Amino acid sequence: MSEEGPQVKIREATKDNVDFILSNVDLSLANSLRRIMIAEIPTLAIDSVEIETNTSVLADEFISHRLGLIPLQSKDIDQLVYCRDCYCEDHCDRCSVVLTLQAVGESESTTNVYAKDLQIVSDLGGKNIGHPIIQDKEANGILVCKLRKGQELRLKCVAKKGISKEHAKWSPAAAIEFEYDPWNKLKHTDYWFEQDATSEWPHSKNCEFEDPLNDDDVFDYSAKPNIFYINVESVGSITSDQVVIRGIKTLQDKVADILFSLKKMDQDKVAFGGPTSENAPMEVDHDPYSGTNGQYNEYNDNTNTAYDDAW
Amino acid sequence: MSVSEVVASEDVEMLSDEHAVQEEEELDRDKIRLLPEAASEDGTCASFQISDEDHTLGNALRYIIMKNPEVEFCGYSIPHPSETVLNLRIQTYGKMTAVEALHKGLKDLMDLCDVVEDKFTQRIREL
Repeated sequence: MSEEGPQVKIREATKDNVDFILSNVDLSLANSLRRIMIAEIPTLAIDSVEIETNTSVLADEFISHRLGLIPLQSKDIDQLVYCRDCYCEDHCDRCSVVLTLQAVGESESTTNVYAKDLQIVSDLGGKNIGHPIIQDKEANGILVCKLRKGQELRLKCVAKKGISKEHAKWSPAAAIEFEYDPWNKLKHTDYWFEQDATSEWPHSKNCEFEDPLNDDDVFDYSAKPNIFYINVESVGSITSDQVVIRGIKTLQDKVADILFSLKKMDQDKVAFGGPTSENAPMEVDHDPYSGTNGQYNEYNDNTNTAYDDAW
Repeated sequence: MSVSEVVASEDVEMLSDEHAVQEEEELDRDKIRLLPEAASEDGTCASFQISDEDHTLGNALRYIIMKNPEVEFCGYSIPHPSETVLNLRIQTYGKMTAVEALHKGLKDLMDLCDVVEDKFTQRIREL
């Protein structure tokens, strides 16, 4: 089944892991996808914490930092706006999810405060969003802090939408494996060795998917990487397959954004008669002379001012 | 006295109007800009400045524009690591303008993403 165009073969797919082979694409595209999945997919994370009481042994900022790193359900993050784009004064249900945490050390032994103790207090409006991700068998979630008898922790967290270019807590991907050319036929890597690189370096698990280099093979200097072994491990805020799909979508959004501005830039230029448009200069050059003097001047002035604007 | 009051209030209005226009321009100037000093008369060569983008988009876009047989040259650079701008240079053989080549490149990249996404979702469904 050899088809033209990009191919995908999934080797393994679970809730928090997707292992696939992407082929018939260029390195640049595969790398764009990798970079986007690491840094530019929006998720939800706790971004500001109001501490009412903290008599635990951990400092306020220490706990705030830990809270920020807790993965929160981000399935319906599309329905949440960025706080900076919202018309509200500080934060509201349209741009944030508010969670509270209240814990007191009541027992003689240590009391553990877990992510499950975070309570959503804002109106979600049916969105599947903001729930702390809990994956352990005991269903506790992440351990935030430990309290001795009598110690207390009371705080309010505001979770906001963001991307991990700003802070890694917003990353949907815990790790992304990315490999091509496991036999190093393209010589993109230079192995360090003591005596012999081939015997000292272990083989990649992806080696079995490609033919090894024969001794009599000549180096193909025009060869390009074509097969990419990618494994995406999710932190849980978004399922692993969604990380890939949203990664592609985010890249498309970027392209669409530029396409939109380019069209606008081009329209401005055509309307005002810039030099780089094929049709417009003809009209601008010849039309004004045939018109009346007044019209010409008007046109010309218009062109000059607008011209500056267009750039 | 009443006259001066009117004048004063008009001034305030004008100021706020001016402010609004400036803000709008600020937003407009954003994403992509044609660098006028680097464009040729016939439009076959041009440089663009795209703001808030990096290698993530730059390299993929460069590749896809270069795939176009009408394009003679396409390259990108990030002039300074502290500034989030990306410069893109396009030169064509003459049958199409640089703006058109960029336009086609963006559309092709979009289509390519569509294909990869379709393939991926299709394979996920098959599991």
